[in-house]
Amino acid sequence: MARLVILGAGVAGHTAASFAEKWLGKEHEVVVVTPNAKWNWIPSNIWVGVGEMSKEEVTFDLAPVYAKTNITYKQAKAISINPDGSDKLNKPFVTVEFTGQGKEGTSEEVEYDYLLNATGPKLNFGATPGLGEGSQMGEHTVSVCTADHAVHASHELDACIEKMKAGERQKFLIGTGHGMCTCQGAAFEYIFNIEHKLKERGVRDMADMTWISNESFLGDFGMGGLHFKMGGFITSSKVFAESLYAERNIKWIIGAHTNKVEKGKITYESLDGSIDTQDFDFAMLIPPFAGVGLKAYAKDGSDITDTLFAANGMMKVDADYTPKPFAEWEPTDWPKTLQSPAYDNIFAAGIAFAPPHPISKPMKSPNGTPITPTPPRTGMPAAMMGKAVAASITDMMKGKTTEPTHHSSMADMGAACVASAGKGLLTGTAAAMTVYPVVPNYKKYPGTGRDLDYTFGEIGLAGHWIKHILHHLFIWKAKLKPGWTLIPE
Amino acid sequence: MNNQVDANHKHVQHVEPYSPQSGTMIAGGFQKFLRTCVLFQFYRLLAINVKMMKVILKSH
Repeated sequence: MARLVILGAGVAGHTAASFAEKWLGKEHEVVVVTPNAKWNWIPSNIWVGVGEMSKEEVTFDLAPVYAKTNITYKQAKAISINPDGSDKLNKPFVTVEFTGQGKEGTSEEVEYDYLLNATGPKLNFGATPGLGEGSQMGEHTVSVCTADHAVHASHELDACIEKMKAGERQKFLIGTGHGMCTCQGAAFEYIFNIEHKLKERGVRDMADMTWISNESFLGDFGMGGLHFKMGGFITSSKVFAESLYAERNIKWIIGAHTNKVEKGKITYESLDGSIDTQDFDFAMLIPPFAGVGLKAYAKDGSDITDTLFAANGMMKVDADYTPKPFAEWEPTDWPKTLQSPAYDNIFAAGIAFAPPHPISKPMKSPNGTPITPTPPRTGMPAAMMGKAVAASITDMMKGKTTEPTHHSSMADMGAACVASAGKGLLTGTAAAMTVYPVVPNYKKYPGTGRDLDYTFGEIGLAGHWIKHILHHLFIWKAKLKPGWTLIPE
Repeated sequence: MNNQVDANHKHVQHVEPYSPQSGTMIAGGFQKFLRTCVLFQFYRLLAINVKMMKVILKSH
């Protein structure tokens, strides 16, 4: 019997665990290690953040779900990896520290035959002074990155609405809190959901709304934007995005690195090197992501973290990490098998793997400050990676092969995204988009980098219905309810 | 906001001249109507689902 240990129970990790357990049956063991007691359908945190959903509607307890499978669930955070064992243990193992199950604070060394790092990101609030400390959000801004953050954000939003009802104008600032952030899409959803909510509550005219992000153009979304056919034209997402912001009277600041957050004010540097400030009464600024901070040790106890992890704490996989300029980037730079080059039995999926470079063209201010979106790893690609890695590991565990059998490159897959612009059964809208491939291929698809037959975007009520349907479908799938395998990633 | 503005300018009256907002296209009344017209959006629901399934199948 072999053991697969999966770190993380988010989209990538939980998908991998679910399929691996199904394919391996009782013959082998699947262990999930996550510090969280609950699973969170993160895309719907936006609606929690505007008071349209409760925390209970976007989360569920993991223990009962895993209890109906053969998956061993450890509510613990991973601290370090010993890929060659130690002087006491010959097998490779992960050191974990429990955060629940009545064993809080206790450590365990969990041996593995195969390891999947699917921890997701560290929310690196501490990267921007005033935004927070370490992975803890500060007091000046709100967040929608977790369900608890979103609940807090909705209460702060309600307080602002009450002020506006009393005649006091409020300034809203939404976007990214650092020059190297990703997840612009989530911030996009939040600003438009707030705007929709303010209109519903009859106070929109008392609000000044501003977007701030590190994108060099609106509609970049961390993937260099996209193009699609619209009204006989091939249109950039820049036009699409600027149109929506202008229509909804949201001003925008782009090419910005937020470098300081204080009560009611941020300071930011722009791509032209200028330094400016922006006041706010309510601000949601996405933090930059980093790896969760796993360490790695050799058998003799020496630190080999650099062998497994990139400088940002994300795990190196089969990508081409050779530094090269934008003009030399190739789709083949992106990993296919997500296997560690150092250890055949270690993989990483979702946000946990280290990308070879951004997707958007890197930009720097004249002061040398990098102001570039980092690559998004959205739900569909993350789940597809999790499933593909699970399939490879399953084949390896069953002895069918010594090499990964499944590929899952962001340069060979598409993504379907639905960005809410306001919730309401008959009044809501969302931008439904598909992009193929996620990583643009300018040689195969000159001019746009994407296949125009598989890349599109439009906004409307249909998009909102789809997002709401997907909310229920993916929670059903994650709960491993009947037919869950029929719901595609 | 001036509620007496004609239909042509109703949707752009908030735009300041020479601002970044003035340099893009802004949806007018009919376009906005279509976005939440249940009948039209039901047709778009089917069309979008077909497009999404094509991408999902191509990616798997």
